[in-house]
Amino acid sequence: MMLKGIGGEILWVDMARGTIEKHPVEDDMVKEYLLGAGYLSRVLYDAIPVGIDPLSPKNVLGIATGLLTGSMFPQASRHVVAALSPLTDIWGESHAAGFWGAELKFAGYDAIIFTGASSDPVYLNIHNDNVELLDASEIWGTDVFETDDWLRERHSKRARNLSIGQAGENMVRFAAVMNDRDRASARSGLGAVMGSKKLKAISVRGTGKLEVADPKDYLKHMDIFYERMLANPFTKERAKYGTTNLVELMNHIGRLPSYNMRQGVFEGFEKISGHTITEKHLVKPRSDWSCLQRCGRYTRVKEGPYKYIGGAPEFETQSSMGSRCGNDNLESVLYGHHLANMYGMDTISLGATISWAMEAWDEGLLTSEDTGGIDLSWGNHATIVRITKMIALREGFGDVLAEGSQRAAGIIGRGTGKFVMTVKKQEIAGQEPRAQKSMGLAAVTAARGADHLYAFPVLDEAGFDKEIRERFGEQYLPEMADRLDPTYKGIMVKECEDFMVMVESVGLCKYGTQIPPEFYYDDVALALKIHNGLDLSREDLQAIGERIVNLNRLFNAARGVTRSDDQLPERLTKEGAPKGPSPGQVVELDQMLNEYYEQRGWDLDSGLPTMDTLKRLGLEKEGESILN
Amino acid sequence: MTELKFVFGDPHICTGCMICVNVCSMKYSKVIGPQWSRTRSVRIEPGLDFPLFCRNCEDAPCMAACPNEAISRTSKGVVIVNNKKCTGTGECVDACPYYAIRLHPDSGKAIKCIQCDACVDRCPVSAIWVTTESELNKRDSDGRLAALYEKHSAELYSKEEI
Repeated sequence: MMLKGIGGEILWVDMARGTIEKHPVEDDMVKEYLLGAGYLSRVLYDAIPVGIDPLSPKNVLGIATGLLTGSMFPQASRHVVAALSPLTDIWGESHAAGFWGAELKFAGYDAIIFTGASSDPVYLNIHNDNVELLDASEIWGTDVFETDDWLRERHSKRARNLSIGQAGENMVRFAAVMNDRDRASARSGLGAVMGSKKLKAISVRGTGKLEVADPKDYLKHMDIFYERMLANPFTKERAKYGTTNLVELMNHIGRLPSYNMRQGVFEGFEKISGHTITEKHLVKPRSDWSCLQRCGRYTRVKEGPYKYIGGAPEFETQSSMGSRCGNDNLESVLYGHHLANMYGMDTISLGATISWAMEAWDEGLLTSEDTGGIDLSWGNHATIVRITKMIALREGFGDVLAEGSQRAAGIIGRGTGKFVMTVKKQEIAGQEPRAQKSMGLAAVTAARGADHLYAFPVLDEAGFDKEIRERFGEQYLPEMADRLDPTYKGIMVKECEDFMVMVESVGLCKYGTQIPPEFYYDDVALALKIHNGLDLSREDLQAIGERIVNLNRLFNAARGVTRSDDQLPERLTKEGAPKGPSPGQVVELDQMLNEYYEQRGWDLDSGLPTMDTLKRLGLEKEGESILN
Repeated sequence: MTELKFVFGDPHICTGCMICVNVCSMKYSKVIGPQWSRTRSVRIEPGLDFPLFCRNCEDAPCMAACPNEAISRTSKGVVIVNNKKCTGTGECVDACPYYAIRLHPDSGKAIKCIQCDACVDRCPVSAIWVTTESELNKRDSDGRLAALYEKHSAELYSKEEI
């Protein structure tokens, strides 16, 4: 079998020796793991030793496109970055849209694996067949935008660039890997891994083509996919607001984290809402490769201290740097997002870490002696902007916060740990789980620590009864569709995880597959057939998703993760939501976890896969070495 | 003669999704690859996305430049390339002020937009449309579009993109 529609080769870059090898994509591997997230789950499972420091040269960093990245399928723009995470010390994975992934394909490659570390700053320059490590001393210390400008000037105006900013260089534990200026592989701190390897950037210029498996009917199929995507009522809403109007929608259901995560409603929500952004700051919606959803926002603040123009924001930032910090100053939220892009940081962990400090300050546990005189009162927007820069540059108190909230609480002590809103050391994203139980479960089961995207269980969020009926069955209604009812959420999260990791392995977006739930397994199978010439059934794809989730779990199990790590902060499981539309609610985590483990074929006590489950998925060898 | 038609786009509305480029390369070359497309899309910061097509010039310098008389205008006013006559000299590419005619990477022969509308029909945001000089002047009465294209002409029409 010769796979169609891909680059065809994997680059292996030895950063210590400065050598580059090209290996063909192996068909057998694709049949078991596809590409993208699945491919990296397998390669890095084998390549990263247990017991190493994530910031040491022994960590291995992978960047991979999916099988459909660069195709004409709606939203087929994505690539995946993965390594051992310096934030969580377990599986680290992050994804981004843009044009970089498609460009890599046109240059003839599907993934790049970096081993070892360079002693001096370098960047990888790819121009079709010509791949070389070049001196990056001139751009070391510059931000993401300056790096992009420099690389375009140096190599090609049409180059697509991926890089770290100062935060990655300084190994901030939530540094992002940025591409196409404002797209972020934000979570898991993988920018710090790039920084530890002294890898500043990857500049790609590819002028090749993708030959597809079914050229005759390709456009005919795509026309149907496009029509469906555009006819979906969510597309219009997404184009108008991107993710920004989730502020008002989530505040309405009490799911907007506010004042760290004390509550799920924010009295200043209207000031930071999607409607306000659209009215006052939107320049235009922006798309990534082959994207019909166009959720990207291009915005500006015209004057004042927060003046900027660029790609920003996402709902997550309005939540993390806005409501979560008690901040209703919209211009500072937008500018904060812009700064995070510029320095290269995850806005979720950034805002959540600042909000942890603000709650500790509010409780009198953190004082100006700790902060060097910086006032951390709720809503102090000047502080939020100032501390963002200090974190990226590791200046003063910023150096403490650059470690992430859980490590920072360890440094400060004095009982500040109880305000840390993390799972496995990663900050919980903008879903107050007491108002949506599935999100609480998803945050603890996600392989990369607290995360809403690994499962992205949004089917109980906005009246997707029809899709629940189609994807799960009538017998699960109405409970599964009720966001406050823990019943069947283990079943839902398990299925959503399997589907979502498969989606991340083919390079598609969660928008279009999960919200809105327009395209499902059969559509992906059809796309893989006409684009790649791959004959995989729905059952095959489901099994691949399940295999990836189990391998991710084994990667973490080898590093000591068990059920006891699948926990939420006590606030969310014991303290009832204090106000808003879901008063008194807590996350019934144990009940949901039991159902989830059962559904997965994992042991209820250890939370680890049983040998029977691993045998079914062809992972018995891995299981034997870890579970015994 | 009826007025000459061409495809034109608004860089403030275009989101840069590349669907026009991909539709074109798939329709005419059965592959995905911007170099195989008769249209281009160029992103210029801050915030502009230019979809670029043949402007169907009245004096068509590409036609005059071809030493093999491979480029002609149909009765409907579309400038087309005769594949049998084209030997890929690239004279037309040099002559075009818009970098709207290029050599196909496989055949080496000239390719250009022939206003077939396949991309216009599929643009998800209706950022591109078939127009004429007079229609465009009317639509762009305040000169916003003309000024944008003029301001960025050096980068948009540079032939040194590789």
